[in-house]
Amino acid sequence: MRIDKRRYYHLDWYLILNGLFILGIGLMNLISATSSFSSGSWNFIIKQLIAFILGLGLMLVVMYYDYRIIANHSKWIYAGGIFLVILVLVIGLAAGGARRWISIFGFSIQPSELMKPILVIFLANMLYEKKRQNVPLSLKDIAKPLLWTLLPFVLILKQPDLGTGIVIILVSFSMLWYVGLKKSTYAVMFGVGAISPFFAWHYLMKPYQKMRVLSFINIDADPAGFGYHAKQAIIAVGSGKFLGKGFMNGTQHKLQFIPEHHTDFIFTVFSEEWGFVGSVVLFALFISFINRCLKIAMNAHDELGAIIAFGIASIFYVQFTINVMMAIHLAPVVGIPLPLISYGGSSLISMLMSIGLLLNISTRRYMF
Amino acid sequence: MKEEKYTSKYKWCTLVLVLTMTVLLIRLWDLQIMRGTEMRKLSEQNRIRVKKVVAPRGIMYDRTGKVLADTRPSFNIYLTPEDIKDFSQTVDGLARLIDCDREDIIEKMKAMSGMPPSFPIKIKSDIPMDEVAKVEANRVYIPGISIQIEPKRNYPYAASFAHVIGYVSEVSDDELKDKKKYKDYSPGDYIGKYGLERAYEKDLRGIDGEKRVEVDAMGREIRTLDVIEPIPGNSLHLNLDLDLQLTADKALETRRGAAVAINPKTGGVLVLASRPGFDPNLFASGIKKKDWQTIALDKAHPLQNRAIQGGYPPGSTFKILLALKALDLGIINEHTSFHCSGGFPYGNRVFKCWKKGGHGTVSVHRAIVESCDVFFYNVGLKLGVDRIHEIGDILGMGRLTGIDLPAEQKGLIPSTEWKRRRYNQPWYEGETVSVAIGQGAVWLTPIHLAMLSSFVANDGKNFKPQIVNRIVSPEGKVIKTFEPVVNSELKLKPGVLKLVKDGMRGVVNEPGGTAGASKVQNVLMSGKTGTAQAGSQSVGLGDHAWFIAYAPSEDASIAMSILVEHGLHGSSAAAPIAKSLTETLFKAKPDIKEAKVHENR
Repeated sequence: MRIDKRRYYHLDWYLILNGLFILGIGLMNLISATSSFSSGSWNFIIKQLIAFILGLGLMLVVMYYDYRIIANHSKWIYAGGIFLVILVLVIGLAAGGARRWISIFGFSIQPSELMKPILVIFLANMLYEKKRQNVPLSLKDIAKPLLWTLLPFVLILKQPDLGTGIVIILVSFSMLWYVGLKKSTYAVMFGVGAISPFFAWHYLMKPYQKMRVLSFINIDADPAGFGYHAKQAIIAVGSGKFLGKGFMNGTQHKLQFIPEHHTDFIFTVFSEEWGFVGSVVLFALFISFINRCLKIAMNAHDELGAIIAFGIASIFYVQFTINVMMAIHLAPVVGIPLPLISYGGSSLISMLMSIGLLLNISTRRYMF
Repeated sequence: MKEEKYTSKYKWCTLVLVLTMTVLLIRLWDLQIMRGTEMRKLSEQNRIRVKKVVAPRGIMYDRTGKVLADTRPSFNIYLTPEDIKDFSQTVDGLARLIDCDREDIIEKMKAMSGMPPSFPIKIKSDIPMDEVAKVEANRVYIPGISIQIEPKRNYPYAASFAHVIGYVSEVSDDELKDKKKYKDYSPGDYIGKYGLERAYEKDLRGIDGEKRVEVDAMGREIRTLDVIEPIPGNSLHLNLDLDLQLTADKALETRRGAAVAINPKTGGVLVLASRPGFDPNLFASGIKKKDWQTIALDKAHPLQNRAIQGGYPPGSTFKILLALKALDLGIINEHTSFHCSGGFPYGNRVFKCWKKGGHGTVSVHRAIVESCDVFFYNVGLKLGVDRIHEIGDILGMGRLTGIDLPAEQKGLIPSTEWKRRRYNQPWYEGETVSVAIGQGAVWLTPIHLAMLSSFVANDGKNFKPQIVNRIVSPEGKVIKTFEPVVNSELKLKPGVLKLVKDGMRGVVNEPGGTAGASKVQNVLMSGKTGTAQAGSQSVGLGDHAWFIAYAPSEDASIAMSILVEHGLHGSSAAAPIAKSLTETLFKAKPDIKEAKVHENR
């Protein structure tokens, strides 16, 4: 692999350092979050580090090939992604009542995580021509992208993995918005958006999912069940007070009052131990990171790069916002990892590859 | 690339980011700053549970240091409502694992509904080891259930000491309502309910400790943060004698009755037995409804301590009292004699002597030895009921003796004043005739008659009966010693006591004595039989048998009072018990091994 010196020079060091900061915080936090497990933190940290190295390698691969070449092959990448998602449903490993993982060479991977950046490239490739023409999308124009979004959405919902499904839908919508929509398209989308919750409530949602929504509205409706997680989570966050209880001193997670505290509820661990101050710093790092993604989109060489970068920014934004809001009871409990912080190899690798795409786009911003 | 339209999109994005940051920060401010202290407290409560460490109750020893009541570890099942995840999973799961109905568990929970959900509810006490193992193995499936090892009261001699030692049981809801008296108690605590356990509750209870433990969401203890060790209760060293008590209890086992033995020189109670009895151990591990009903509804009233609560006419044992008073007043002397022809005409009826042919002409000695009724009819009439009442009251008969047990009952030795107060009627002389032989309106408990026997045994001085000798702290420091308290000390006319004592020695040791069959080898025992007509409720069941006694006849160290309900004759039913008590006391002492060999035979 020959690396162009100019490209090295043009690497977005802001993004890299910002991302590394978040990652560093994530690893440190993981030590505390997993310290109460019988297997000890070490086991988790090693696994996460292996995923990091693997992700770093894949990131370099993603960076090496021009994003336009990657986009040209997006159909096949998409097909591969869909294949893996279907494979999960067939031979997936079940855990906690859901099939989300497949085992490859002893590693269990979660294809739905990889589906997020794949869909972003695939949709960008589909839409960038429209954006270049600067034509707002009509209903007919968005039909195809929506259909290709719904396919993985439905498959992922089947696992069931509502969280990832929601991320995919929201990312897809934000990309369409970014490309530009006709007024009539907005109208119809809002209309459908208004009815769909009722539809979903009556026909799609499973009782446990409804229960989560109900206990979100009234946290005391089921304090021993779904409300329990939410309640314990805000107790953890609130008990951090201004400066936090200190690294490794959180009690809520250590005593296992919060389930999934090393994955989806990881923010509670951080906030309990680092308090308001730490949380503000973490928020700032995320907002700054997302803002930097948007900058990359803004300064991208072409529309394709801009849409991809915006899509990646959306992934980060949607996951960060919903995850944190869930932890502080501003959103119902739903399984979405906090990017670069939550434990989970697939999520980390997927995020690192996304960053690879961003760097890919930013280093090639001056190319013609 | 940087057309107006698209930069406006970035403006929107920036707006969204700022908005998001604002919302998150407001919420965080609310949770961590505004409500931070409250949340911190909640998280502390979450992880820290205060658990009670029950103090071991004080031990009771007999006068030779043998353990009569102690504690042993027991496994108790607790349920903490707050830790339950799925109600039916935990409750049904537990009901399947241990011998306990679902309804019982729910009832227990309901009874505690006023307590905070983090308060553990005791579901079952003293579960067997196999249930402990089952529950421990299934802990994960029944969140909220925990097993605590706690001291449990243990009565090694079960029913033999039931009435005197009493029992402990869980403090009742009614008791807890009395906030003032029971302010130190909470549901599930044990409290002395009967006997010494109740009388000395304050000393025996000790002070419960506290343990602060960190628990996880399942309620499992992660680690102990700190412990305030419990302070065990003070132990009681009793005046009771294990061997004597067991002897008395064994003799009474198949009957209804009571036996009291007192050290006449101190008032220390050596024996206080009552039958039928009950097993106090049943109460200590949370009595089952069925067992309670069996005991409470038993027509024989096993919960009654006949020794201090059972009122019976004293029969001929009462004659000793009359003899004392009449001799002291000089109404009779040792030569005064009355003729007994088997009957005593008074008014328009004839009061009979128990011996059909009569005793002939008898003086006080023969009258006591042979228990001549006619002699005492005469003496009674000469004395008058008020003087009988007076001496009885001085000796501690009829009133409360002040024994250190709860719920002692009064008896009755009538007087003219009593009759006026009670019935607003004058006393009739004819009634005195009945009273003279311990019948009529006379009601006394076995402890009352023990006061009489100890008075004679100790040559005119008796003491308040006391069961507890001293209270000793867990470290072995004597906290309180109960010194003998004089009940009455009379300067009787010289020779009076000797006359009465000679008579009582004759009852057992002279030819024609009513308790001649109970003569003891090696030791001289003195006594007086009594046969009392049972009340109108128990017609046909036969008379009550009494025997009061002391031994050795000179310088006595034991004074007794035995009652056997419907035992027919004092001589045949009650006296042998006094005999075996005396034998036990004076035989077992020198060589305990020999006594054991005896038992094995």
